[in-house]
Amino acid sequence: MSTDQPLLPEFEDLFDSAPCGLVVTDEDGTILRSNRIFSIWIGISQEELAQRRFQDLLTMGGRIFHQTHWAPLMRMQGSVAEVKLELKNASGHTVTTLLNGVRREHVNGVYYELALFGTTDRDKYEREILEARRRAEQLLWEKTTTEAALQQAKVELDLAYEKSLQRAFFAEQMVAIASHDLKNPLTAIKMAADLLARGERTPRDTELLGHISQSSERAQRMIADLLDFALARVGRGIGITRRQVDLHLVIERSVKELRVAFPQAKVIHKQEGAGMAEVDADRMHQIIGNLVANSVAYGDPGQPITVTSTLHGERAMLSVHNEGTAIPESSLGNLFEPMTRVSELDTDLRSVGLGLFIVREIARAHGGDVAVSSTNETGTSFCVSFTRTGTAS
Amino acid sequence: MDIQRRNNVQVHGEGTSTLVFSHGFGCDQTMWHYLFQHFTSRFRVVLYDLVGAGRSDLDAYESAKYGSLAGYARDLNDVIDHFGRGPVIVVGHSVSAMIGALADRLYPHRIAAHVMVGPSPCYIDCEGYVGGFKLEDIHSLLHTLDSNYLGWSSAMAPAIMGSPGQPALGDELTNSFCRTEPEIAKQFARVTFLSDNREDIAGLDTPTLILQSSDDLIAPLEVGRYMHATLPNSVFHLVDNVGHCPHMSAPAACAEAMDDFLKPWVGENVD
Repeated sequence: MSTDQPLLPEFEDLFDSAPCGLVVTDEDGTILRSNRIFSIWIGISQEELAQRRFQDLLTMGGRIFHQTHWAPLMRMQGSVAEVKLELKNASGHTVTTLLNGVRREHVNGVYYELALFGTTDRDKYEREILEARRRAEQLLWEKTTTEAALQQAKVELDLAYEKSLQRAFFAEQMVAIASHDLKNPLTAIKMAADLLARGERTPRDTELLGHISQSSERAQRMIADLLDFALARVGRGIGITRRQVDLHLVIERSVKELRVAFPQAKVIHKQEGAGMAEVDADRMHQIIGNLVANSVAYGDPGQPITVTSTLHGERAMLSVHNEGTAIPESSLGNLFEPMTRVSELDTDLRSVGLGLFIVREIARAHGGDVAVSSTNETGTSFCVSFTRTGTAS
Repeated sequence: MDIQRRNNVQVHGEGTSTLVFSHGFGCDQTMWHYLFQHFTSRFRVVLYDLVGAGRSDLDAYESAKYGSLAGYARDLNDVIDHFGRGPVIVVGHSVSAMIGALADRLYPHRIAAHVMVGPSPCYIDCEGYVGGFKLEDIHSLLHTLDSNYLGWSSAMAPAIMGSPGQPALGDELTNSFCRTEPEIAKQFARVTFLSDNREDIAGLDTPTLILQSSDDLIAPLEVGRYMHATLPNSVFHLVDNVGHCPHMSAPAACAEAMDDFLKPWVGENVD
């Protein structure tokens, strides 16, 4: 050894005052030697420590861990690094340490050489990290679960939607086919009845032929209503084709036809405002037809039915008014729902209860809606209001 | 199901009877390293890892199934079914001694004998019974497991400090020995230390060798004596050893006691 090297403390001294706990034990854990820092941590003198087993200084959890993990590892691997164990000191406090150990075979036996580092603050920090990780995992789990449920719901929704589309398509097809196939025989019946009516007939024959003709017309209207209903309810909605028309003129024509159809009723047409409207004229005709038919059916037969067409700014309006007993309060709420009739006592009259529903659907297709007011004093008014042009919302 | 893969089953040796070694809490099959080779010349030796431990298939871990020892017992019976030839003797350390007893109860007469190393039917003290632990001790263990959670992959690794004295394992095993996924380790700790199998072992008359360490924190002497008193057909053998793993720290003494006990099952090819 060269003499110009600075003089180091004795190895004994270095061991004893090393800035970490140092312990040497037997294979069974009996402490053979420990340094000062370790003695201070534990609060037991170095002499006394020499009677003890290292594992007996641990917390109970640490002792079990030592037996089930650490001891087998030391034997199999010969060394273990960075195991965190808690020691119990003489005053009952715990000292958290990080333990490195090595099993060393010397000529005179096997020794376990342990180095321990105090890690209390770091331990706190690690526990916080661990807790944060747990929370994150919990949140992730919740998120994953929610997403899975959402995905499942979406799949079910898609399936249901697909099914409803198929049903709608099927219904539309059914109605279209049925109405188309029904129309032709009805037309044939009506034509045949009309042809027969031209010849010499007894009054009884004429009356019967009249019934046949009227019934065919009614059946045709029902088919038209059913087709509209199917389109509005399950299909693509009632179709309209807007064209520039003189609304008053269109309504005037409708009223004329209705006067022929209902000769017993007195139908008046009032006009307010002037100009053109961009609407579906056939559908306007349908609205007036349905509403007037209702008035004929439910209104006071001795009083006139008033049809009013109005053009005002961006809006167009059609209203039909009749005198008579008011619609019961309880029926007003669902008057426009399909299959609804004003009175349960009405068994016949014109349709299966789709008239007002179709009126509303036509109004909506024109960007508008229908309203009703009904009292015993003022009578019953249906007012359909919609946009005058297709571009206005 | 691929039992071999699930339980990392390894078969060694040849013989007319089979020894199935089942490791305890905290380790894996490597812990039998010092002992099993003693038997390979006379027995077919089967080693396996409990699911969740060692090199078992972690994907096979289901917390419901392994929420009780019965799940492990069913696995042991699978291993016996697939890899056992002739009479089967289960060598179970610690909790695996109970897994062996439960497997025996689930499938009577399939297991010819048990060798129980440091067995305990119940770790917690209760009225009239000393298991050695209180409930808070088990919570303390869970706390310690948590402490070693963060660095689980690096903790347990051998210390990097020069050349330690002759590790028993080759390098390929050194870094995997005793490694357990932390959450699984915690559930297994609960299942192990909170089980009470006293009713399951009462009257179990399969021949059993109890290997009891003279100084064992996990399975104290009183518990070994309780086992002996409870199992009508048991042999009690005290091994002079400090610690819970006599098969590692006193393998010769264990082997000697086992040789004696296993005589009836050694075939003609005994040396």
